[in-house]
Amino acid sequence: MIEVKNLVKRYGNQIAVNDLSFTVEKGQVLGFLGPNGAGKSTTMNIITGYISATEGTVTINGLDVFDEPEEVKKMIGYLPEFPPLYPDMTVREYLKFVADIKKVKKSEKQKMISDIMESTKITAMADRLIKHLSKGYKQRVGLAQAIMGYPELIILDEPTVGLDPKQIIEIRDLIRELSKNHTVILSSHIMQEVSAVCDTIMIIDKGKLILSDKPENLSTHLGATGAMKLSVKGSSKNVIEALKKIERVSKIEEHQQTNEGVVDLTLYFGEKEDIREDVFYAMCEIKTPILEMQTLKMSLEDIFLKVTNQEEKAIHYEKQSDETPEETSNNAEEVNSDAGDL
Amino acid sequence: MLAIYKKELRTYFTSMIGYVFVAFFLVIIGIWFFIQNLISGYANFEYTLSSITFIFILLVPLLTMRLMAEENKQKTDQLLLTSPLSASSIVIGKLLAVFTVFLTAMLVTCFYPLIMTKFGTVQLGSAYASIFGFTALGAAYLSIGLYISSLTESQVVAAVISFMVFLFTVLMDGMAGILPTDNQAAYIIFSLILIVICLVLYRMMQNLTIAVGTGVVAEVGLTIVYLLKPTLFDGSVVNIFKWLSVISRYDQFYYGIFDISGIIYYLSITFLFAFLTTQVIRKKRWS
Repeated sequence: MIEVKNLVKRYGNQIAVNDLSFTVEKGQVLGFLGPNGAGKSTTMNIITGYISATEGTVTINGLDVFDEPEEVKKMIGYLPEFPPLYPDMTVREYLKFVADIKKVKKSEKQKMISDIMESTKITAMADRLIKHLSKGYKQRVGLAQAIMGYPELIILDEPTVGLDPKQIIEIRDLIRELSKNHTVILSSHIMQEVSAVCDTIMIIDKGKLILSDKPENLSTHLGATGAMKLSVKGSSKNVIEALKKIERVSKIEEHQQTNEGVVDLTLYFGEKEDIREDVFYAMCEIKTPILEMQTLKMSLEDIFLKVTNQEEKAIHYEKQSDETPEETSNNAEEVNSDAGDL
Repeated sequence: MLAIYKKELRTYFTSMIGYVFVAFFLVIIGIWFFIQNLISGYANFEYTLSSITFIFILLVPLLTMRLMAEENKQKTDQLLLTSPLSASSIVIGKLLAVFTVFLTAMLVTCFYPLIMTKFGTVQLGSAYASIFGFTALGAAYLSIGLYISSLTESQVVAAVISFMVFLFTVLMDGMAGILPTDNQAAYIIFSLILIVICLVLYRMMQNLTIAVGTGVVAEVGLTIVYLLKPTLFDGSVVNIFKWLSVISRYDQFYYGIFDISGIIYYLSITFLFAFLTTQVIRKKRWS
């Protein structure tokens, strides 16, 4: 439905968007993920025809945004970074105005406005002046404005900014509901948000596309390794010796002892492998009871940080234990097993 | 276009600005009407209107300052420009709305000549011709004000610049009197203007070759014309200043003449600045 080809946007010497290409199919939800200033908003502004690209093309349903802006704009609903609201209007007046400029038919207008107010949960605020609303409500009025006319393509720039957790869930549900009949592009720097709603995630940094895939596949792109946290009762020397014998373990990290006679370790191994049984039997052999065994997952935050950070920082793993990160990095004794070299 | 028109009109009359403008306008016209027509007993309403053209300098910036500047500041221009509205329909909607507010005041003014008929014979033709001319003059100023408002994000800046520009259009006629009329001075002034144009060009395009190239070509052309036919430059600066003086065109209406060329001049200015405003809006895409 949308095809973006070799998009470049330059401001003087600065490059805001650098050779970005992607396509979005009808009914898909695409999430832009990137740190501040990555070019997410600029890309959205170009797609909606608010600003022009220095190079490259954007076509929506085969129509070029630059050649036929008025036709294309009919198909797009846009919630910019700052919701474009008139503070001196009431919510209802504002939505009526938006319906008018989006050329909603007179017969459908009344019903559409009340339906949209219902789904964005602003009906109670309908007759209040927008300047008196809280940030969360303003955001929702902005969202209502974007949905007005039920355009085929809905573009939302950070739709959940300023909302409380309950509202965020409501907005997410609303976006999911919308995605049944509409194509949605949204941007965020919050990972859970994108992974919860989007079919495809695009990570952008410094105007460049770094990664684009389904949320569940993202980690495979990074050559990520699996990891496991292990607590056993016994002496560390014996335990490490025994673990080294497991071929698939690539790295063993020992943590400072917190309890007498208990060894805490982190094991690294190839992703998509399951070494739990091997570890169990290895410990059985040396008659060392396992107190705790837990597989660690690479979170979206880690992926995000890893791909957007220039200096490849070590991947932190999600932990539920009470260990602080300092302990891990300062006191860990790194032991490379022979298996890692194979 | 209609949506924009309705929205702007509502904003004028839900905030104070619309009422303040109409009230202030009518107070000033009322005082001058009272003094000149009722107390002094002149039967010419056109005298009254001619002596209060300064009203535009004060009141038009009040009306036009927020038209585009506020949209730019609140980022609502993003809503308008990503909606299926064309730039020209936005501008026409806004211009018609502000013109409607102005027209409300002018409609009341239409009763004054009728009041005068109670006391004697009044040339209604010339009175209404001057009201018509006054309205056209107002439209021209409103259009210039709208254009200035589209250039900035700040209402205050828009108001101050509009005020200065309008003041300049009033003073221009007087300034023309002290300007040199000989061709040599004209040649120098035109060269200086050319340099300013080149600087503006360079600022806009960031391209030294084009700016300097245009400047050199234009200067050479200017010099050739000057060398071949210096008499062409005689009094040209003064003429241009007089031509630009928006307010001096209104003099004809003072004498009770329905000046078609003046009306066309005002309408041209209105269209020119409305057109320039659409260009400013379109240009946003390319900034």
